[in-house]
Amino acid sequence: MMRPAAWFVAGLLIAAPASAQETAQDARAWLERMSEALATRNYDGLFTHSTPGQAESMRIVHRVEKGRSYERLVSLDGSGREVVRTRDEVHAYLPDRKVVLVEPRRDEGSLLKALPTPGPTLDRYYDLSSRQGKKLLGRDIVIIDVRPKDRYRYGYRLWLDEATAMPVRSVVGDEGGRQIEQILFTRLEMKEKISAKDVEPAVDANGFQWVRTDRKLAAMPQLPANNGLRPLRVPPGFRLVASRLQVMPGSPMPAQHLIFSDGIAAISVFIEPGPPTGGPRPPEASRMGSANAYSTSVHGHLVTAIGEVPAGTVREIANSVAPMPPLPSQAPASAMPAASANTP
Amino acid sequence: MTDQIREQLSALLDGELPRDEMGLLMRRLDRDPELRRSFGTYALIGETLRAPGGRIASQSFAARVSAAIDAPQRGVAATPAPAAPATVSVWRRPAVRTALAAGVATAAVFVFRPWQDTQPQVASVQPAPTSAYSFASSPTPAQNQRLASYMVAHSQYSTPMVRRNVLTSLLASDPGITRASYEIEAP
Repeated sequence: MMRPAAWFVAGLLIAAPASAQETAQDARAWLERMSEALATRNYDGLFTHSTPGQAESMRIVHRVEKGRSYERLVSLDGSGREVVRTRDEVHAYLPDRKVVLVEPRRDEGSLLKALPTPGPTLDRYYDLSSRQGKKLLGRDIVIIDVRPKDRYRYGYRLWLDEATAMPVRSVVGDEGGRQIEQILFTRLEMKEKISAKDVEPAVDANGFQWVRTDRKLAAMPQLPANNGLRPLRVPPGFRLVASRLQVMPGSPMPAQHLIFSDGIAAISVFIEPGPPTGGPRPPEASRMGSANAYSTSVHGHLVTAIGEVPAGTVREIANSVAPMPPLPSQAPASAMPAASANTP
Repeated sequence: MTDQIREQLSALLDGELPRDEMGLLMRRLDRDPELRRSFGTYALIGETLRAPGGRIASQSFAARVSAAIDAPQRGVAATPAPAAPATVSVWRRPAVRTALAAGVATAAVFVFRPWQDTQPQVASVQPAPTSAYSFASSPTPAQNQRLASYMVAHSQYSTPMVRRNVLTSLLASDPGITRASYEIEAP
């Protein structure tokens, strides 16, 4: 087995392309094709999800019907948890807690609407490259490397099926190049049609507590942040891509949810008024798989930054939250001075 | 150092010290340089034991733990809190100095079990909202549920690949979200 720290380095040695620019363009095109394939194809696959010291088998079924996608992701051993994307909502079944978390879908109406896509500025923050790989699952493979240029984001190595652009293996590497997460498909079937039954949950949720995000508030357009609190610093390349209000379960007051993206990684910042009621007790760091979260307390608000980025990145963002300084003139809602201030 | 304090230090490094004993021990650490040295040594021993194959993951760990405990005395509020949006260089500022620059009166030291066997022992200095030390014990189900809700909401804004990773992580986190922590960055 390759040493964890070695996989990015090995990629550098093997890649050495004749034209780095060409393979970068090629890699970007593959990333776009992959995003489209994941969202628009019918597929049914078994895979192993592994983090250091832990591995778990899972199944994913993705169904597209009349321009809408439905999905079921289920743990086949261990927790027995499932995440099901229905027509309008995402349901996370947590049988170990007898809870179903419910979140409205934001991509209603259009399959690919407003999905973050690898933009033209991506190569400022990542080194992209592509090359041929060995066959996997009997398919011809192209390997895409997405290596971060700084310590604020993770890197990715993707083994894509040349025929469909579907990832059959993916590895996430941390800021030091160490492998922290792998998804490896052991079976992947692309199907013409998938029945509605195949994306229904198997877990019996009888007696479970259904915990819902307030839909009405979640659908509201952009509103001012709580007390004008905003992250004053975000890493280069991360831009504010969405902002919304929502009532988090267990909290009487709406939380501001700000989403920053660099085209690959996304970071959410939740700003909830009042002392934490059942939420994380700040200051506090948490980790789920390769995702990190950091909570802190700012001006009587609970602030939590969460994302598939290194722990230090969410910590720095959460710690930078403060009242936004007054602006000489009214800026557009989507323009965030702090975000753009750090963008070269 | 009494056996009781020795046991408390061990429990602290194992993340098993009851919260009500935490404040007293941290105040004692604050006052007692010898105890701080012992703490650093214990942390190093713990790190060695937990590192894969007994390898010392970071030889400077103990020194950094001690330095972190010393940090509040060295430079409290030496720099006013930055009011304007910062530059990239400020973004890169190490966590310890950031905490001090923010005018934090004291700092809490968190030491947790490593989240995975292959991870080095880690510790963190974080700004504390009051003069009291705090310590994070195991997350409650309510805390885990809130974080899980955040994860589901967050996943809606990711690219399809990252969303799959995020949701897979949510499924794989069993029995719950793992409390993580940070390695101290040298000031």
